Amino acid sequence: MPGKTIRVAADVGGTFTDLVCFETDAESGQSTVRTAKADTTPPDYEIGVMNVLEKSGTDPAGVNVLVHGTTVVINALTERRGVRVGLITTEGFRDTLEIARGNRPDFFNLHYRKPPPFVPRRLRRELPGRMSYRGEEMRPLDLSGLDGIIADFQGEGVQAVAICFLHSYADPSHEVAAEAAVRDLWPEVSVVSSHRIAREWREYERCNTAVLSAYVQPVAERYLDRLRDRFEDRGFAGSLYVMQSNCGVDSLEAVSRIPITMVESGPASGVWGAAELGRLIGESNILALDIGGTTAKCALVEGGNVRIMTDYWIERDRTSAGYPIMVPVVDLVEIGNGGGSIAWVDDFGKLHVGPRSAGAVPGPAAYGRGGTDATTTDANLWLGRINRDHFCDGEVVADMAAVERTITDVGRRLGVDTDDAARGIVRIANNNMVNALKLVSLNRGFDPRDFTLVAFGGGGGMHAVALAKELGVRKVVVPESASVFAAWGMMMSDLRRDYFVTRLADLTPDEAAGIEAAYAEAVARAIADFESEGVSPERVTVTRFGKFRYRNQEHTTEIELDADPVSEASVGAIADRFHDAYEREYTYRLDAPVEMVGLHLVASAEVGKLEMTDRESTGASAEIAQKPGRTVDFASEGDHAATVYDGSRLEPGMRFAGPAIVEAPGTTIVIHPGDRVEIDGYRNVVIQVSDANGKEFPGSGAGAGTDEATGGSEGKGGVT
Amino acid sequence: MTGSRQDPITLEIIQNSLQAAADEMFAAMKKTAMSSIIYEVLDMGTGIMDSDGEIASSGAGIPAFIGVLDKATRVIIRKFDQPGDVQPGDIFATNDPYHGGVTHLNDIVVIMPVFVNGELIAWTANIAHHSDVGGMAPGSLTGEATEIYQEGLRLPAVKIIDRGEPIRPVMEVIRVNSRMPDVLEGDLWAAIASVRIGARRLEGLARKYGTGVFADAVSSFMDFGEDVSRRALARLPKGTFELSEEQDDGQIFNVAITIDDDRFTVDLRNNPDQGKSPVNTSRDGVMVAAQMIFKSLTDPYSPANGGSFRPIRLLTREGSVFHAREPAAIGFYYEIELRVYDLMWRCLAPHMPDRLAAGHFASVCGTFIGGIHPDTGRQYTIIEPQLGGWGASRRGDGNSAMFCGFHGETYNCPAEINEARNGLFVDRMELNLEPGGEGRHMGGRGIVLDYRIRTDNGFLTAGYTRSRFPAWGLDGGHDGSPNYIEFIPKDGERRRFAFASGLTTSTDDVIRVVTGNGGGLGDPAERDPDRVREDVGNGLISPDRAREIFGVDVNAGAGSTG
Repeated sequence: MPGKTIRVAADVGGTFTDLVCFETDAESGQSTVRTAKADTTPPDYEIGVMNVLEKSGTDPAGVNVLVHGTTVVINALTERRGVRVGLITTEGFRDTLEIARGNRPDFFNLHYRKPPPFVPRRLRRELPGRMSYRGEEMRPLDLSGLDGIIADFQGEGVQAVAICFLHSYADPSHEVAAEAAVRDLWPEVSVVSSHRIAREWREYERCNTAVLSAYVQPVAERYLDRLRDRFEDRGFAGSLYVMQSNCGVDSLEAVSRIPITMVESGPASGVWGAAELGRLIGESNILALDIGGTTAKCALVEGGNVRIMTDYWIERDRTSAGYPIMVPVVDLVEIGNGGGSIAWVDDFGKLHVGPRSAGAVPGPAAYGRGGTDATTTDANLWLGRINRDHFCDGEVVADMAAVERTITDVGRRLGVDTDDAARGIVRIANNNMVNALKLVSLNRGFDPRDFTLVAFGGGGGMHAVALAKELGVRKVVVPESASVFAAWGMMMSDLRRDYFVTRLADLTPDEAAGIEAAYAEAVARAIADFESEGVSPERVTVTRFGKFRYRNQEHTTEIELDADPVSEASVGAIADRFHDAYEREYTYRLDAPVEMVGLHLVASAEVGKLEMTDRESTGASAEIAQKPGRTVDFASEGDHAATVYDGSRLEPGMRFAGPAIVEAPGTTIVIHPGDRVEIDGYRNVVIQVSDANGKEFPGSGAGAGTDEATGGSEGKGGVT
Repeated sequence: MTGSRQDPITLEIIQNSLQAAADEMFAAMKKTAMSSIIYEVLDMGTGIMDSDGEIASSGAGIPAFIGVLDKATRVIIRKFDQPGDVQPGDIFATNDPYHGGVTHLNDIVVIMPVFVNGELIAWTANIAHHSDVGGMAPGSLTGEATEIYQEGLRLPAVKIIDRGEPIRPVMEVIRVNSRMPDVLEGDLWAAIASVRIGARRLEGLARKYGTGVFADAVSSFMDFGEDVSRRALARLPKGTFELSEEQDDGQIFNVAITIDDDRFTVDLRNNPDQGKSPVNTSRDGVMVAAQMIFKSLTDPYSPANGGSFRPIRLLTREGSVFHAREPAAIGFYYEIELRVYDLMWRCLAPHMPDRLAAGHFASVCGTFIGGIHPDTGRQYTIIEPQLGGWGASRRGDGNSAMFCGFHGETYNCPAEINEARNGLFVDRMELNLEPGGEGRHMGGRGIVLDYRIRTDNGFLTAGYTRSRFPAWGLDGGHDGSPNYIEFIPKDGERRRFAFASGLTTSTDDVIRVVTGNGGGLGDPAERDPDRVREDVGNGLISPDRAREIFGVDVNAGAGSTG
């Protein structure tokens, strides 16, 4: 379509499939934006994608760039809907997958159940052959037993083969040879070798990663094929990219080979969106908060960078060791605390919120679908924070009788009235999220007061200001497209690959040449990978990171390096940077030798992402966006008469003050008394948060907090 | 003050934050430590005590360490009782069971007072196993020790940091006593970072809510812990239960447990005198074992704090193996504590079959291997507990390859890291297929782990129990299999043993660690034949044993259950 570029991002979530479509005029640079939501349609997720496309009125034939994010991998894992996998590993280590690490997080529970391996023992088979940790061949690979193994696998109905040999991160040649031999003997089967996913040590983690990747590979590949076919049938001729867990996108072909890299693509795109939004509005330090129906996720963006790590686990919590997946995943904390999280009182009269969720069915009590548990959403409705007359954008009539019944029930068990029970639910939910936000900030040596909170997802705006006050954050930004923000983030992503390689060396001038050689090798590999997909080297940006530690330590601190080659002269500066970063995080530094443990390379190339335009203030007053006001209980600050704004009518340059509520499509923003709001040039709602320590909030003039409600608050300041 | 006991939500929020702070302390220690026993194995614990030294909250890690920190803190409180003795920024340390250390000299407890506006509101503390604190043997642990003086440097509850400034002479004394001074110093600083991070978090909490509300939250949290325990105690069967059990070394241990409406009394007075060998423990150590079994029996899911343990009453006899008197050696205290723990478990299991499984391998199987790394020329020391099999329960088969009951969020060392860091080969690490643990429900499998040594003049020290008498079966289930080491020298004869002190190792010698299968539960003939066939298919039992023990003919279409 001449003169126009159409970019579409489609994000398949647990409940909804979201779409954002930007149509940009080449001449004027002006964009028009459309968003849409449709139900997610498991297991044929592509149907939901086509539905949402249709709902938004977008013709696939006109689309230039399609970016796709999907939960197909995480769902196949958690619902155990992958294929039967056979594992081939080093002689003496077939039980690694079952032995795992031996930990028991739920340690007083003598009935702890160890997570069972994804491959039973009879399908875990061994081959002789051995590499050393330095990549030297100690014993050649003996493939003579492979025929028998493959025959057994075929007899057992295996559909995918995983290969993991000891020390393949140092030299993968045995895995390469075994992989080729398997393909030779059995061309139809899908094969995944550990080194193609992870080049880091720890055999259990790498082996489990290869196994889980093999487990989902055929499922994901079939899905991506179907999706591409559907689009091509409708005349789509643009570029198709798939969102990854490392905040980048990759080609459909690359993802089909190793689909496990998609495992956290949804959360990653939200975090990336927050980082990109920060770049647009000039904020490089960001706390990203995504509150959905079942969970809340937080991540930290520092100096514009997201933190990507490879120690990711599924199904891991205080009661289970879970399963490791050693792929680059954005560093985030996820807790079972979303709008649908259930409030409950234990045998000892203590109130909890989550992690169990009412889900989409029956959903919160307010849905009127038979939900008998009070959820955070119900408490927000009861307190007037969510508009009971315009629930779910007016699509659902809130069943307030059910809300009252369930919250009163919680109150009875707590020994308080319904209002206090609702406030308690909101405060406990907020506290859960505050602790999660502390984990990604304070726990890593960062002071949240130096950060801007970017809140999104359906519930982000509802809680963000209260959380900011708790943490001393002064500025909160709720993006215009908050409820479909992950899809927006996808559209802003680059083609990106993270390379993690274990490489031990002392950080001394003598070793500089060797360290540089390792970087050069990884850079060459990255460039070649991109080139093989038609991305020329000059388009590729490479950023170097290194993982360092004091000698004898194990865990490392990651430091960004300059683009220049590592040289005898530069190792001192690298060490200084390590000492500084280490001291910030851990309160002390040592006069001890520094070791390098591995490198981390980020290679990225732009794929024609969206340019956003910063619009001028329209000069209009916020009054034109006002709706009828109502009394809102701010939980920790009591009742106030709040002004209510229609989010879809807010324009750049408008200003107003709290107490206020913004009702935007898909989300509600709660602005506390004393806070000031401005709509910026991208139509983000920017909130300047007032000091949390002030007992008096200036401004509102109406509806002073009741004694009872303020009396129940946190006793701020603490000194009387 | 607006917040008060009337506001349960604020108290709850503070209590959640105490837990978060203890977890954060744990994470900091893990990430900064220099010994694999700390950063990988996580042989450590963190906790928060109230101003009187009662435990309010504890981090992840090792259940056996949770009950240590309060006892150590109380010794500091008693010793430093003059005005000005305890100042903001001070940090104390003890490792001596005769001075609040509870365990053995390798475990240094680091303790920091938390002040807000000049008022002492809490203590943060950390315990971790340090690789070498001096003494007669590398790694400080040896079965040869007959007095504590031979087991390393003793820190009898002393100040190591004065108002934020390290006390140099003390630090120098600590360093110079270790064979691995850099590692000891690095680990000690990791512990210091951990208690400081916790203290900072608590200061923030108390400032925000006020010290009065903070104290209320802590004390109501303890009352909650006690309430949980007492309600659960009411549901336990009442009476006095007794057990005598022969140990690997021929000693007989006796226990009597009396459960009534408000007490859980453990009587260990009728037991042998303390020994010359380092297999003794302090009374505090036995208390920890009693606390652990009590917590697991009552409510394993809620947080453990001082209140949880209030119903426990412990009776010991000073001068006995369970209440050692100075200067008894205590290096292998953990095996003796485990024996008490297992003794109590076994004593109660037949009376509470829904709560307690059959016996597990029940030994730390502490394995100490050292020598020169052939590639770096530097000294290496492996200090490792081992994985083993857990007992079957009414709910199902036991877990395979887990750490023993004294460990929790503890991780084994990957072979890839072991080979790189320690310069030896791990030839295999697989499930133990020896017979043992058969039953209607099967005991979990132990492991077989082969270390092949790459340089001469190394050493091996080990101390395993349950080597003569394996994990006990329940209800007609078979006993498990024993824990032992098989030493396979390149030249010479194979040897099998459970205890070794400083055995010299040479190139290409193989140290084979074998840990036991857990005990089975119920008659094996009652096992579901399909499960038996599955076990055969998985190579866990042979077709012959399937027929002999379980009465299942795997070659026939359907199994005939004997």
